[in-house]
Parts: sequence; C-alpha cells; structure tokens
Amino acid sequence: MEAASYLGAMLFWVIAAVLTLGASLAVLLPLARQAEGEADTSHDLEVYRDQLTELDKDAARGLIAPSEAEQARAEIARRIIKLDAESGSKAKSASPLAPRLVGVVAVLAIPVLTWSIYTAIGSPDVPSQPLKARLEQKPADSSVDELIARAEAHLIANPSDGRGWDVLAPIYQRMGRADDAVTAYRNAIRLEGSTAARQSGLGEAIAGVSGGIVTSEASVAFEAALKLEPANPKARYFLGLALAQEGKVAEAAIAWRQLAESLPADSPWRSVAEQAVAQAEAPGAPANQAAGAPGPNQSDIDAAASMSSGDRTAMIEGMVATLDEKLRQNPRDPEGWLRLVRSYQVLGKTELAQEALGRAYEALGRDSEDGRKLTELAGSLGLKVTE
Amino acid sequence: MVEMGHFALVLALVLSLVQSLVPLYGAYKGDAKLMAVGGPVTVTGFAMIALSFAVLTLAYVQSDFSLVNVWENSHSLKPMIYKFTGTWGNHEGSMLLWVMILSFFGALVAAFGSNLPATLRANVLAVQGWIGTAFLLFILITSNPFTRLIPAPIEGKDLNPILQDIGLAVHPPLLYLGYVGFSVCFSFAVAALIEGRIDAAWARWVRPWTLAAWVFLTGGIAMGSYWAYYELGWGGFWFWDPVENASFMPWLAGTALLHSAIVMEKRSALKIWTLLLAILTFSLSLLGTFLVRSGVLTSVHAFASDPSRGVFILGILTVFIGGSLALFALRASSLTAGGIFHPISREGALVLNNLFLTTATATVLIGTLYPLVVEALFGEKISVGEPFFNLTFGPLMMPLLVLVPFGPLLAWKRGDVAAVAQRLMFAFGAALLVVLVTFLFIDGASVFAALGAGLATWLVLGALTDLALKAGIGNVAPKVALRRFLGLPRSVFGTALAHLGLGLTLLGIVGVLSFEKEAILVMKPGQVLEIASHRLRFEGLQPVRGPNFTEDQGRFSLLGPAGQPVAEIVSAKRFYPVRQMPTTEAGIKTLWLSQLYISLGDEANDGAVVVRVWWKPLVTLIWGGTLVMMAGGFVSLMDRRLRVGAPAKRKSADKKPSPVAT
Repeated sequence: MEAASYLGAMLFWVIAAVLTLGASLAVLLPLARQAEGEADTSHDLEVYRDQLTELDKDAARGLIAPSEAEQARAEIARRIIKLDAESGSKAKSASPLAPRLVGVVAVLAIPVLTWSIYTAIGSPDVPSQPLKARLEQKPADSSVDELIARAEAHLIANPSDGRGWDVLAPIYQRMGRADDAVTAYRNAIRLEGSTAARQSGLGEAIAGVSGGIVTSEASVAFEAALKLEPANPKARYFLGLALAQEGKVAEAAIAWRQLAESLPADSPWRSVAEQAVAQAEAPGAPANQAAGAPGPNQSDIDAAASMSSGDRTAMIEGMVATLDEKLRQNPRDPEGWLRLVRSYQVLGKTELAQEALGRAYEALGRDSEDGRKLTELAGSLGLKVTE
Repeated sequence: MVEMGHFALVLALVLSLVQSLVPLYGAYKGDAKLMAVGGPVTVTGFAMIALSFAVLTLAYVQSDFSLVNVWENSHSLKPMIYKFTGTWGNHEGSMLLWVMILSFFGALVAAFGSNLPATLRANVLAVQGWIGTAFLLFILITSNPFTRLIPAPIEGKDLNPILQDIGLAVHPPLLYLGYVGFSVCFSFAVAALIEGRIDAAWARWVRPWTLAAWVFLTGGIAMGSYWAYYELGWGGFWFWDPVENASFMPWLAGTALLHSAIVMEKRSALKIWTLLLAILTFSLSLLGTFLVRSGVLTSVHAFASDPSRGVFILGILTVFIGGSLALFALRASSLTAGGIFHPISREGALVLNNLFLTTATATVLIGTLYPLVVEALFGEKISVGEPFFNLTFGPLMMPLLVLVPFGPLLAWKRGDVAAVAQRLMFAFGAALLVVLVTFLFIDGASVFAALGAGLATWLVLGALTDLALKAGIGNVAPKVALRRFLGLPRSVFGTALAHLGLGLTLLGIVGVLSFEKEAILVMKPGQVLEIASHRLRFEGLQPVRGPNFTEDQGRFSLLGPAGQPVAEIVSAKRFYPVRQMPTTEAGIKTLWLSQLYISLGDEANDGAVVVRVWWKPLVTLIWGGTLVMMAGGFVSLMDRRLRVGAPAKRKSADKKPSPVAT
C-alpha cells in the first residue's frame, strides 16, 4: 500500500512534468521556427475573384438581371483597385527585442504559473479511489463504511445469506440506520430462524424507525423474544419503556426494578434499568424522558445525510457535547462513557478523549467490569491507560 | 489519476492566458513568430482540457467518490450510460464541457485557418483565448469539479432522476456546440474591429461557423423540447420557460446572422450590421449561460444555484458584451460599407428577415427579463408566460413566415415581386385549398387551425417551388430539368430544406394545438377507453424493480378493429429512493406522424389508477421539421463554396489580378 502510493505520487509528478514540457514546447517551437511572410492582400483578391465567377454563374441562371450584374461587376472591380492601393502602404516596424522578450516570458510563464497555481489548489498526494478497488482492498485497510458497503454488495448478490444479514443488522442499528436494520433483522429471522437476540434487535430497530417510540409492532417483536428467552434484558427493558410511553410510569418502574434486581451487577442493562427507575420515580418525570439511552432520532440522521461534511461534523460535535453534559450530571452510565470516549477519538480530539476516559474511571471505578471495558476500548483506540 | 485532470486544467488556463496575449501582441507589432504561437497553443490547450474532461468522466464511470462532484451527482448502482452522461449532468461538469467545446472550436480555427490572413487568425485566436481564460478562471475559482473529499464516502447522492435519461447524452452537448459555436463568429467580429477593417474573406469564414453552430443549436433545442415532452409527463413541447427562452434567443439572432452573412458574403453588403449581429448572438449565448448557471431562474435546470457563481458570470457577461459593443461603437464608423441594392431584391428580403428576427429576439428578451427586473426593483413576483408570447411573438412571426417563400425567388440587387408572386401561384392556391378544407371539413370552429395549416402548406410548397423553378421543371425537357436539378448548388438545397422544415414544424405545432384530444379518468384493469377512434385497454399495474429505482408499470393494449391487441404501451411511475424523488415515464406510441401519450396519476383502490391519455395529431412533425432544418443547414455546409472556404494558399501564389469587368 505504502509503496504503491509512493509510486503513484511519483508517476503523477512525472506525467505533470511531461505535460508542462509539451505545453512549453507549443509556445517555444513557433518562436524558434522561421516565419514565412506573406502579403495580406492576396487573400482578399482571391475572394473578389471568386465573387466575380459566382456572379457570372448567377447571371447565367437568371438570379440577377444582366444590367445589375454589370453594376455588381463594376463594384467588385472598384474594391480590387482599392485593394492594390492599400497593399503598398502597409509597413512593418517592430523592434526585435520586445517580441523576443514576450516570447521568453510566455515560455517561462507556463511552468511557473501552472505549478504555483496547482500546488496552491490541488491535492497531488491524494490518490484516485475508484469504488471497485476500494471494495477489493484488504479488510484491514478498509474503513467501517467500506466494510459495510462490501457486505451490502455481497448481500445484493446473495440475498439468501442469512449469516450476512445477521452480522450487518446490529451494525446498521449502531450507525443509526434503523430502516436498514429492520430489513436486515427481518431477513436474518426469515433465513436463520427466530432467536431472542434477533427478535429484540428487530424490536429496537422498529422503535428506532419511529423515533424511539416503542410501537405495537415493536412490542410484538419484544414479546416474541421473551417467549424464546424469558429473561432477555433488552426485550424486558423496552417493554417497560413501552409502558412508560403509554403513561403507565408506575408499572414501568416496577418492571424495570424487577429487571434490575434479576440482573447481575456487571450487566450493562442493570445500570440502564436502574437509571430508568430513578428517572421514572423522579417527581414530574414526563413519560418520554424515561428513554434510557437517548440517541439521535431518525430525523436527525436524515438531516445528517443531506448535510455538507462541515455541517455534519458540527452536528456530530453538538451531539457529543450534549452527551458530555449529560454524563457530567449523571456519571453512572457506562455505555454513555464508552460512547463519549470513542466519539472524541473519532472526531480526532484525543485530548478530550483522554480527559473523558479519566472522568469515566473516576465515576465507574477502574477495576469494575465497566472499567475493564473502558480500558479495553482505550487500548483499541490507542489512548493512554496508565495514570 | 484524478489529480492529473486537475493539473491539466490549470495548465489549460495558463495556456489560454498565453493564447490571449501573445498572438494579439504579435498582430499589433506585426511579428510573424509571435502570431504563429497562437495555433499550437490553442491546439495544446484543447488537448489539456480534453484530458481533464476524460479524467473526470473516468472518475464518474469508476464511481470515485473522493471527488465532491462525483459524490454529489452519482451513485454506484446507476446504469453505466448515466454514470457517463452524469459527467455533464451537473454544474461543474457541464461548465467543463462548455469550455472543452470552446477550446475545440478554437483548435479547429487554428488547424484549418492556415489560409486566413495571419493577423486576422492571430486576433481571432486571441479573442477565443480571452473567453477561454474567463471561463477557466470561473471553473477553477467557483466551480472546480476536481475538489476532493477525504475520507471518501462509500456511496454517492445520485443524479437528479429527471436527468437519468438518454436525453442528457444528447441535449447539453448539442446545445453547447451551438452556443459556443457562435463564439467563433464573435471572435471573428471582435478581431475585425481590432484590426479596424473587414477582410473580404471575413464573411466566407464566418458563414460556415454560423451554419454549424446554428445546426447544433437547432438540434439541441429540439432535443430539449422532445425530452421535456416525454419526461415531464404532461406532453407539453414548449413552455416559454426562461431557460428555454435563453436558448431560443441565440437561435433567433443566429438565424438572422445566418441570413445577413449570405448578403455579406455574396454582395459585400451589410458588413457592419453582420458584425453587430455576430456580437449580439454570442452575447445572447452568454446571457443564456448566465441565466441558467447563476440560479437567477429556477427550473428543471436549477442544479446550479449559487449566488457567487452568478456574480462571476455576470462579470464575464459585462466585460465581454460591454467591451465588444464599446469596441464596435469606436470602430464601426471606420468600416466601409459595401454593395448597393434596391429595396425590392434578395438583399432587401434578407434585411426584412433580419428586422423581423431581431424584433422577435427583443420580444423574447423582454418577456424573459421583465419578471426578473420587476422582482429586483419592486420585490414582486410576476410571471410572463404563454399569453404574453402568444400575443407578441406569434403576430411577429406570421408576416415573416408568409414572406419566407418570396426570399429565395427574388433576384439579387433588384427584384420583381409581381413576377415572383406569379411563380408562387401554385403554392398559394394549394395553401388556400388547405385552409378551406380544414375550415369546412375538419374544424370550422378554429380559424387559427385553418390559417395555420394553410401557412404551413404555403411554406412547404414555397420551398419546393423554389427548387422546381431553379431546375426549370416545366420549362425545359424533363431530362434537362433533372440534370439542372442535380447540378444546383447545395446551398440552394440547403435553403429549400430549411424552409421546408420550418413549414413541417409549424404544421406539427398547429396540429397539436388545434386537434389534440385529452382524457382523464380512473381506469380499472380490463377497462377500455376510446380516444380519437383509438381503443385502449388497461391491463393492470405491476411493480418492477430497476437498478436504482422501483416503478409501478401500467400496461395498456392498443386494440385493433376486431378487439385484438395490436400493440402494448407501458407507462410508469418511478421512485428513486436515494433522492426520494418520483418521476413519470410516459407511455408513448407513435402512429404514423401522431402519438398516443399515456401518463399515470395516483393509484385508487382495488387496482384502479388515474390515467391521463392524450391523442397528439402530427406531433412528431414538430421535431421532424427541426431535423429537416438541420439537414438543410448541413447540406448548405457541404456546399463547394464553403468547403473551399477562404481561397486556398497555392492559388494565392498567382498574384496578378485577373482581367476584371471589361
């Protein structure tokens, strides 16, 4: 890869140099050649002579009356006489120095101007990226987007590969592509059979499509998951959320409390459920605020897709800042911390990521299960874990 | 090698800068070497822009989303043909196409202009260089198609679905060939003004360029019209949309130029006027570019709305139009007028043609710009639409069309109208007959239909009369007539074909406007509809999946007299998910010269669907006529006189004046 891109860059400069040389020669060669002088009037004369012969033809065809043709002939003759008078009066006077100087400047201007303009506005070190080549490169060199596109291309060709859908579905969900996640989960269930994880994932995706609202369609999926695995925490959590969204906050709190109590201390769902309970029991909590992990909703994602890259970065930064603020007020949210640290690193803000990591250790404890997850993440992101 | 294209484009800018200055200075100083620089530099500049364009096209074909331009206007699932044409289906790419065609014409002048006087050639190339420099700067500063996007997205935002059509492959390139072709005439005009004299060879040179540009522009406009007709789903062929007007104005002015250039070439008359027309025609092309590219207008072509670009093009427009007209004002008085002619003559007829055409151009210009001015001054949105143009443009065109058959029959210098009228008696009689038949037997209610059909007949037969008379059919033995017919100059055929095509187009317009039938109804599968004695059966809706769209296809059977299906017509509603845009795909069945046009509306319950059906009699003649006009222009271009162009070099060795006017 490295060597190839180096060669590519070299090749670019070589071709650029050849093109520049060719362009300079286009100016240089005519200057070097012996110019042939020619009287200007010969062209005009030829035209007038042509006009005369044509006039004769027109007259023969009756397109012009004989007397008029005679007049026209006289007109043309007068022009020819005038032409002869003009031809002697033209004299060329040029100082030989100035034109030569102009020639030199023109030849020099081509490489100098071209290279200075190009280096100012071009990106010579950025190689071409044809899509096909990008999808065929080694997975290790690919970005997440490229890997997904590759999987999608594979699934378009083999739509009955259930395992492919199964892998892709949660990735879509994490990227906020809830619509695609729903399709992928449905296909996975159709091809690979129903499991609790797939059904609860499907429910979550359907809720994502409708902006975080657990619709009856989503509830059906969660209930199917519970039938297969009565203890499935995701399904239980979301069914609680459904109750809360219906206004049955007290019942939701009971469901979440039962969920929290049934889970081991290191389960991520336990803290989510506890948090939900706390919010539900807080006085005057509106039902929809009880959503455990508020993420961007579908309209935000759609907006992001249609934005320019600068706007999109701004929007993402805004969302990260909101998350940061939330974690300052409510630091017991391990998933939130993981998300925050990863987000800062992805945005290229290593210092903030490092600082967030420190705050997360403070809040969750370095040696807890969550702490170990954080350490693992930090390692994979290349952050410092030592104090 | 995307960056190679970018580099080549910058190189082209610098080359065109050299092209703008060095030959001009050479011509001023009378230095042959500096003047000779113009040719090779122009050709090299074209090669660079062509390379740049090829690189951009390759990026589109390979879906290289590391280019902002490709990412914004392409999609990996788009069919290959639309990836290819998508290169110019957006602002940046289409401007690059514009400049490439400009430099192509410049290169043609450089390559085939060796028999032009050296100073004229140098000045023409320099003026072409100015235009090229201005637009290359515009591209590199405000609309660079080579702007990179890192990291590259994995999928593009797709091309506007309306543009995903074969029309995009044909319409813009033809239109630009026309627009930009007039730039050569403009350069010749400005070069003549710089020199302060018009060579006799001038008109010889300008006429083929005008003809070529006119042929392409005619094709471009006609293609655009047919595209709008079948793609927009309601079967209109001309909307008086400002963007259409923007291309129509250079066409009208170019048609005038075409005619005045004949006078100048044959009689050395109307020199100054022709010069002015050449400047005006290209100015109108620039104005069209400004109107479409600046986002001043919103329309189908609104893929290019950006105020900073508008200001830049406005600057270009002001400098070139203002500059050339100022130069004209300064120099025109020093130019000598040419041959003398009687008002009633071929020259006089061509002047009349010019008067009508320029007035018509001014009318369209006012109708197009007035709403913009009103909005700018009073903040009030008004729209000047069809009624305005029907009331102004229509009446202006009528007398011109009536006079068209007279022109080619009048003699040069002094003509005899009475004699010409006598020769046209047959055409006139036939036209009158058509008026009567239409009025009495087809449609007594519409005087317009009857007169329109008569006028069209008059034009068609008038053109044929011209050919028949020149061949002497009826006056001499058939064998002689045939020989004379075949021996006629091609420009005579060109004139006749172009005028005949005009008549055919008019007939098509009259046919559709007067005799069109329309039906709107909710149809259930199996239901039969009768329109203009054609019976259509709706067979049902059927979902179909395309490469980057989904569509509901409505299938219709055209029934024969015994009720058996004789043809199938498919009309569809498409949906492009990436852009979230629906389009209509009209179902069109051509029956001789007329068409059945089916467009689908909303779906009702139980498989029924709203269907709009039009019967469009003679509609294909509208575009068929323009094809005939183009053929006329093409035949004229093949004329020996123009093929020889300016006198060949070897002839000029013989410097003795030939015996003259004894």
